[in-house]
Amino acid sequence: MIPHILLVAAREFRQIAMTRSFWLTLLILPAALAIGPLTQRFMNKDDPDRVMLIDRAGGATARLIEAQFERERQRTILTDLSRYVQRYHLDAAAPGALWSQHDRWYSDADIAQFVAEGGVAHATTLLAAATPDGTPAFTPAKPGFAFLPPTPAIAAAKDDAVGQALQPLLHPNAKDAKPLDYAVLIPADFGRSPLVRLWSNGTPGTRFVGTLQPVLTQELRGRYLQANGLSPDAARTASAIAPALSITTPPPGSGARERVLIRSILPLVACYMLMMSLMLSGSWMLHGTVEERSNKLLETVLACVSPEELMYGKLVGTVGIGLSMIAVWMLCGIGAAYATQGTIADMIRPALDPLNSVGTIATMIYFFVAGYVAIAMIFLAIGAMSDSMRDAQGYLTPVLMAILIPITILIQGILSGGGGVGIEVLTWIPIYTPFAVLARLGSGIPAWEVVATGILLAVFIVAELVLLGRLFRASLLAAGQRPTLKTMMSRMRA
Amino acid sequence: MTSVLQLVGVTKRFGDFTAVDDLSFDVREGEVFGFLGGNGAGKTTSLRMVLDIIRPTSGTISVLGRPPGRENSRDIGFLPEERGLYRQMTALDIITYFGRLKGMTAADARSHGRTLLDRFGLGDNAKTSVDKLSKGMAQKVQLATALVNRPRLLILDEPFSGLDPVNQGLLEAEILNAARQGATVIFSTHVMQHAERLCDRLLLLARGRKRFEGTLTEAYAALPARLSVIARSSPADLPGVTSATANGVMTDGWQQWDVRLAHGVEPGDVLQHCSERGIALRRFEPHRTTLHDVFLHLVGTAPDADTATDAPQRSAAA
Repeated sequence: MIPHILLVAAREFRQIAMTRSFWLTLLILPAALAIGPLTQRFMNKDDPDRVMLIDRAGGATARLIEAQFERERQRTILTDLSRYVQRYHLDAAAPGALWSQHDRWYSDADIAQFVAEGGVAHATTLLAAATPDGTPAFTPAKPGFAFLPPTPAIAAAKDDAVGQALQPLLHPNAKDAKPLDYAVLIPADFGRSPLVRLWSNGTPGTRFVGTLQPVLTQELRGRYLQANGLSPDAARTASAIAPALSITTPPPGSGARERVLIRSILPLVACYMLMMSLMLSGSWMLHGTVEERSNKLLETVLACVSPEELMYGKLVGTVGIGLSMIAVWMLCGIGAAYATQGTIADMIRPALDPLNSVGTIATMIYFFVAGYVAIAMIFLAIGAMSDSMRDAQGYLTPVLMAILIPITILIQGILSGGGGVGIEVLTWIPIYTPFAVLARLGSGIPAWEVVATGILLAVFIVAELVLLGRLFRASLLAAGQRPTLKTMMSRMRA
Repeated sequence: MTSVLQLVGVTKRFGDFTAVDDLSFDVREGEVFGFLGGNGAGKTTSLRMVLDIIRPTSGTISVLGRPPGRENSRDIGFLPEERGLYRQMTALDIITYFGRLKGMTAADARSHGRTLLDRFGLGDNAKTSVDKLSKGMAQKVQLATALVNRPRLLILDEPFSGLDPVNQGLLEAEILNAARQGATVIFSTHVMQHAERLCDRLLLLARGRKRFEGTLTEAYAALPARLSVIARSSPADLPGVTSATANGVMTDGWQQWDVRLAHGVEPGDVLQHCSERGIALRRFEPHRTTLHDVFLHLVGTAPDADTATDAPQRSAAA
């Protein structure tokens, strides 16, 4: 029996592996991995937002706004630098430096000190001596905003005509002209009046408004306090008072939620790959089963092998194809991660933590293979009942939808941290069990539940092999008939 | 002679329908055995039971001294009525695949596959995929898959259907070649000429029941001899003549007669009686009995319409 099964399996494997569609499918993921970073580069906006400040109240407010935007950029750089130092354990380069202090929110004073000490250029010089070979270089964030001086026409326009004059700049007709993203008009009576006008060529970004508004608020408060008798210095100090936040953050990748997400990467990848490989290889499985009948060679084959040997052979062959595809994808993924040597590699290391446990590895392999077999059996039974691929597709589409839609919802639910009744219920429905258990492995699933659902899945597969095996055997020679549900049930009982 | 295939009281029912009814027969080693019957007579169902593709409802089957099963496949070559091949595989790969399923080593299957392809004039197409072969070429490849394991028992189900005259000739030659090399050949057909040319013995089947089993001579003997005679007087009174029917009009006193003889009576005996009684003859022509006549005589002219349902559908219901 075994040699027959292996011969049938090897033929199935070879036949599928020789098709163009197999190679296209196999190359989808590596191509996506290669193209992904490129598209990321093209998708991200490289140019900073262009901002025009029209200050008719003396120019001091505009200068404050520009300084605030620059301060925020330096804060981002300092924060990124601090996490970079923490990630690569480079504190020894300058233990007293601001970027070696990871447990605080950087105040405006800290930013001023950082800039005064030479900023990122000085920090990079200090770090260079302590950075081991192979550590990626620190790349500071690019400026998000660029400030343009008002054009002569805008400068000359009256307040109520500024909007009209700005239109050619906000929405230029020339193809290659860069539009102005924001224009802010600070009127001459700013202070007495709180009104400031903002024009935008789209919906204003929260980052821009969030940075602009505190400066204007602070300026208004200072002017108000001065008008009520406070000295200019006291008014400025009062309006700039802010709490000094002391923050404790985990090292990158080790926060509770972050940790759960990272530990979930491998199980979720396994879950997605199971889903994808079944979706992609479903039609091959059907084609393999329909082929003997549609090519009228079923009797020739059945004279040499039993229906059971044929079924198991096809199952082993198609499972082999699916697993080979996944093995190639995983190798490409690991290769890409090690080739990039950057954030992905850092993320991969904790993501591979589950592989330290033999139990977790065994659980993942068991549910992956069992899930593949459980669903592949359904595809094979569909193939055995169909005379042609067209017939088979008619059954396949609703079956795939019934399997994939709940699984997609399940994965989304688990990713958003849900542990609701729906997820629990799907875990106990055998056809969804492999996906639910794999997806839940990272976020935590009780050991007893893994064992119990594993046993339930095994029982389900045995029942499938018996019942769908009978259906497969009885349907093989039943050409020209579209079986009714009653026929199917009677074939399963036979 | 050893019995290669033996069926004893084999019945196959699909629900209320009896496809094969209490069928018993023997096929002896080295003979070419014809399995004759109209459409739906139960030929394919019987052969499927021999190959263990379906199981009998009752009765016993012995194939090469063993019960039906896949373990017999190493000694059996089978060419089904419905023929097809894996379209993406090459001719040689398919032959090798079936050789291996029948227990051959890959090297032996491949080597004998090449020999067969060369013999069938397809040596240059060994590496060509089936979907690029003509229908005739594909039929030869299919025949090679049946012959690759040098079978002791070659079972051919309606082997001549769909073949052009050239390929029919090739197949006849291969059947005779296999028989010369000691193989037992069983083939089903409803074309009597093939059976007359090839069979040592044959079995006639109608509506699932056996109507005749024996040699061609025995088959011809099952039908009384007939004569075409032109005489001046009626031969009806001659000994051994069961009937004499006037045929056509009398010309100058000469009448053509269609004469039927009793079982076992030779035309020569009747000629002798004519001579002794002085009956003038212008023509005395024994009518050559064909298997077709025997078939119609034993089975009747009514088609097996009520049994001519789709056998595969019924078998699957089992």
